[in-house]
Amino acid sequence: MSAHREILFGLYDDETDLLSAVKEANARHLHIDNVYSPFPVHGLDPLLGLQESRLHQAGFVYGAIGMLTAFLFMTWVFTRDWPIIFGGKPYWSVPAFIPITFELTVLFASIGMVVTYYAVNGQGPGVTNAVLDDRITDDKFCISFDAGHASEEEVSKFQQFLTESGAKEIRTKTI
Amino acid sequence: MNQYKLPAGERLFLMICMIIGVACLGITYFTDDALHSRFWSNFLHNSVFFTGIAFLAIFFLCANIIAFSGWYTVFKRVWEAYAQFLIVGIGLMVVVLAGLWLHAHHLYHWADATAVAEDAILQHKSALLNPVIYLVTLLIVGLWYFFARKIRNISLEEENVDKFDFQVHKKKLRIWAAVFLPIGGFTSPIVIWLWVMSVDAHWYSTLFAWYCTISWFVTMLCFTILALLYLKGKGYFEQVTADHFHDLGKYVFGFSIFWTYLWFSQYMLIWYGNIGEETIYFKQRLAEYPVLFYANLAINFLLPFFVLMRNDTKRKEGTLTLITVILILGHWLDYFLMLKPGILHTAHEVLGISHEAAAHAADHAHEAGAHAEHAAHAVAGFSMPGLLELGTFIGFAALFVYCFLNQLQKAPLVSYRDPYIDESLHHHVV
Repeated sequence: MSAHREILFGLYDDETDLLSAVKEANARHLHIDNVYSPFPVHGLDPLLGLQESRLHQAGFVYGAIGMLTAFLFMTWVFTRDWPIIFGGKPYWSVPAFIPITFELTVLFASIGMVVTYYAVNGQGPGVTNAVLDDRITDDKFCISFDAGHASEEEVSKFQQFLTESGAKEIRTKTI
Repeated sequence: MNQYKLPAGERLFLMICMIIGVACLGITYFTDDALHSRFWSNFLHNSVFFTGIAFLAIFFLCANIIAFSGWYTVFKRVWEAYAQFLIVGIGLMVVVLAGLWLHAHHLYHWADATAVAEDAILQHKSALLNPVIYLVTLLIVGLWYFFARKIRNISLEEENVDKFDFQVHKKKLRIWAAVFLPIGGFTSPIVIWLWVMSVDAHWYSTLFAWYCTISWFVTMLCFTILALLYLKGKGYFEQVTADHFHDLGKYVFGFSIFWTYLWFSQYMLIWYGNIGEETIYFKQRLAEYPVLFYANLAINFLLPFFVLMRNDTKRKEGTLTLITVILILGHWLDYFLMLKPGILHTAHEVLGISHEAAAHAADHAHEAGAHAEHAAHAVAGFSMPGLLELGTFIGFAALFVYCFLNQLQKAPLVSYRDPYIDESLHHHVV
């Protein structure tokens, strides 16, 4: 988390209000700092101009690493380190390696993606994040602006926008 | 445009393709060995392949109906139309059945009374593997067709109800679909055992029916994608968006992996068990079909896995067209590999050409030239699909597409009275 910032935010009752408000903000060329919602809102990402997540690309890399780890390790063990004959099969029994290779691919990909997700979002065990308002995890939808780094003129524009776009509450909080 | 009309140009094209297919079948018949095994195996191969696609269409449609899913509703007429091909499939398989009863072909070793008389395994299996049960499999397909017809009629009945009257869907469609699913699920293995697995009369695998079914399923999805792309290109189905293709692409991706899972499970258990009666199946294929054997895995697993993994490839028309065409051919090759080796070995056995004899004849080409020629002749069209096989495939595919388009023009394309239509029209996946 960055240093403390002064955040101006408005709370909305409904996701349709939120979507139309975001559209309005875009039309007025106001820079939205963030939007909070209790659940994923359809069509919000393109309005905010969010890029597609690259988490799945990381997942592919982790999976590939897991696959190579399992396959190469078993190859090393059963051909170099400790060759054992199982049921008359050759030392390097590729079909028998496949299930374990598959499992480790899944394991590496899933654990790697979870850890990456938490790291990227600055979350994890013991980390607490300041919340603008508890109700945005329940039934309120929030649009926030960075008031600390904006001129007074801009802040008044933000406030005017929040009032006109139907925010039920408008507050400022330093987090 | 909510009413499809088959244009004269397309009709002519499909007719020409069907004539090519008939011509190829004819050429195959007259240039074949004494048992006409190449002709009959090509006929069986394509009949089984396309009948299965029709079965999977109605099965997956019913699964979606009772799962209360709505994403597919906008193009459900496509699957309904596919399913109506079952009646043609019965007609095609009646030809195979007639050949079986009249001993006109030797696709199935268990149908040869003299072979069974001196074969303890075949005697043991004769309770299932006999011509009467083969007739039963056709009756089973008849039952599937009855359900396909019924579901289609209820779906058309729905066209006439009020906008928010869901009684037809709730009280009829859902119940008929729920009744069909266990019937289709439990009867389809019997059909697959008799039609496909029993060409290797001594061999069996408990996984085999799943593996065949999923091969059909992936092909059915690929045909759906191609049909929708074609129809969209003609200006129909403008309600079908990239999101619908995305979901279809996900199904192709996922079930290609499931196909590989089943293929590998079957392979690994047999490899690990190492029982001669079982490993012979893969030994024959690896020894005589090494290219097809590995190509099968590369086309049907590696290709869709790496190409369809990304989000955007499932939304692009060009990529989807390419990958679905290749996958249809890939699963057609998969069926080729299931059927041809068994039929070839049966034919060899009956014609008295053992492999040792064929090899021996090749060594002594002078004295046994005719014999060697005969052996080579029996292999052509079995070890690798030739032009005649491809022509036959084109003919059958044209027949399937013609029946599909013909059914499609009998009803409005998009059913605006289905309770799930709005969900389907506003389907978003990203």
